[in-house]
Amino acid sequence: MKKFSKLALPYIIWMGILVVIPLAIMLVLSFMKTDGVSFQGGKFTFDNFSRLVDHAVLVGLSNSLQFSVITTIACFLLGYPIAYIIAKAQIKNRFLVMAVLIVPMWSNMLLRTTALSNIFQPNNVITSLLGIQGISIKGTKLAIIIGMISTYLPFMILPIYTVLEKIDPSILEASNDLGANNFRTFWKVVFPISLKGVASGVILVLLPSATGFAIPKMLGEGKYVLIGMTIENSFNNMNYNFGSLLSLIIIVIIMGALLIISKVDKEGETLL
Amino acid sequence: MIAAISNKFLNFIYNKILRKIKLSNRAKKVIAFIVKSLIILVVFIILYLPILVITIQSLNNSKTLHNFGGLTLKWYEALFNKNSPEYAPDLNETIGNTLIVTFIATIVSTIFGTFIAIGINSLSAKKRQRVIMLNNIPILNADIVTGISLMLIFSALLPIFPGIFGFTTMLIAHIFFTIPYVVLSVLPKLKEIDSNLYDAAVDLGCSPFKALVKVIIPSIKSGILSGMLLAFTMSIDDFVISFFTAGSFDNISIWVYSTIGKKSLTPVVYAYNTLITLGTLIVLLVINIRSYAKNKIINKMNTRSVSYAKKDF
Repeated sequence: MKKFSKLALPYIIWMGILVVIPLAIMLVLSFMKTDGVSFQGGKFTFDNFSRLVDHAVLVGLSNSLQFSVITTIACFLLGYPIAYIIAKAQIKNRFLVMAVLIVPMWSNMLLRTTALSNIFQPNNVITSLLGIQGISIKGTKLAIIIGMISTYLPFMILPIYTVLEKIDPSILEASNDLGANNFRTFWKVVFPISLKGVASGVILVLLPSATGFAIPKMLGEGKYVLIGMTIENSFNNMNYNFGSLLSLIIIVIIMGALLIISKVDKEGETLL
Repeated sequence: MIAAISNKFLNFIYNKILRKIKLSNRAKKVIAFIVKSLIILVVFIILYLPILVITIQSLNNSKTLHNFGGLTLKWYEALFNKNSPEYAPDLNETIGNTLIVTFIATIVSTIFGTFIAIGINSLSAKKRQRVIMLNNIPILNADIVTGISLMLIFSALLPIFPGIFGFTTMLIAHIFFTIPYVVLSVLPKLKEIDSNLYDAAVDLGCSPFKALVKVIIPSIKSGILSGMLLAFTMSIDDFVISFFTAGSFDNISIWVYSTIGKKSLTPVVYAYNTLITLGTLIVLLVINIRSYAKNKIINKMNTRSVSYAKKDF
């Protein structure tokens, strides 16, 4: 089947164009002051870098870090047991398990967020249906974090489940036969194997929750500014230079993530 | 280092605390069951509560979202009937946009993704890992960075192709970020197939292309199907990348986003969302039941042939 290796070539070129060239444009833009993306009349400057230490940007970065870390930990604490329970139940029908986890993703993410923002208000459809008094958490940190967990949890469960499902049960039997109890078997055998799924899951939850801008805007009523919102604003205000610089910073972080993934999971098996 | 510390910590907890708690096996089982059910319940609520709310609202007679005013199907009717009083022309247009972009992107990325995966699979191990790493960039990358990257390159192309911003750019963007999912779902299936099958087909007089279509593609069908499903899922739900590459063209996510704080959403959009979820679920169930039935037949045949084989001995 060696003949077909030519089929990969156009893809490498296509990815090269759509990944590398924008990176170069961003790099140039972040050192300049231009009008949009037209380089005519632009001038070379370090102004964008000095804006990095603006109070608003620092707050955005620390908020992003805070929300994304809490969301990731919560997703891990909920997602790992679920993945473990499903894998242990040895459901033959992998398709069905996937479907239960993917069905929520077919609903539009923004509509799911509006639905949440609706039930975070004291008077909503559910309370009206049940005839109870609701509580108001809209505009709080808790609301944003619940929204993020609800949106990104499947991205934690699926890679962990993929790894756990592939563990050969005879390894566990061997561990038990050699005198380890269930707890030790889990901690010494299962957990280390599943770490590559955890790594993928953490990255797939951490990055979007740190850089997304719709959920904090809708559930936080604009009280909490995350870095994604700052980037969106700079592009909306035609300040492509500062936006590019912030994007580059995120890209550097993502490069680190890519390196980790390429170390623990060479063939990208856990990313689905 | 961290692993060693946490290891010690957990051993400590286990030895000092968990071992001290003496419980009968039955009590242990009951506690495990309760904890398990609780976790499943919490996850289920977190994942499905928003969908429940969307479904209730699509059936809610009251237009305000604060109370329940009885059941109705008028929002569903408004999706299809132009004469309905609740008909929202701009919403129907965006729904059309969303569906067209998603369907074209899904089909194109499934076809290209499959051939690309076959290409990647036949590379040498080292090259393959590098290409897979390149392939993973759009999956791992933050959506906002992908969106901005694509917007920048499309803006740079603007002098050559004026007026591409809109349907064309959004479609290219969707194809760009869905192909990697198809590639990743097809690759493991390709690894499983026996390359002798392909060689045999060629030896028996198949052209390489015919062997590809007749031998390889059928044996990776399930991978292609799940890749297609993933591409569809990612494309129909996408907001951030579409937002930056759309120009004045809008899909459903952009439409919802633009209404924040301006006007209340018409429940028709909830009706659309419920229908999409239901439709996808039904398609999936039909496929699943069919493949399940097929597997059952194949299993039956296998056991039969095994038992025949045993008889021979």
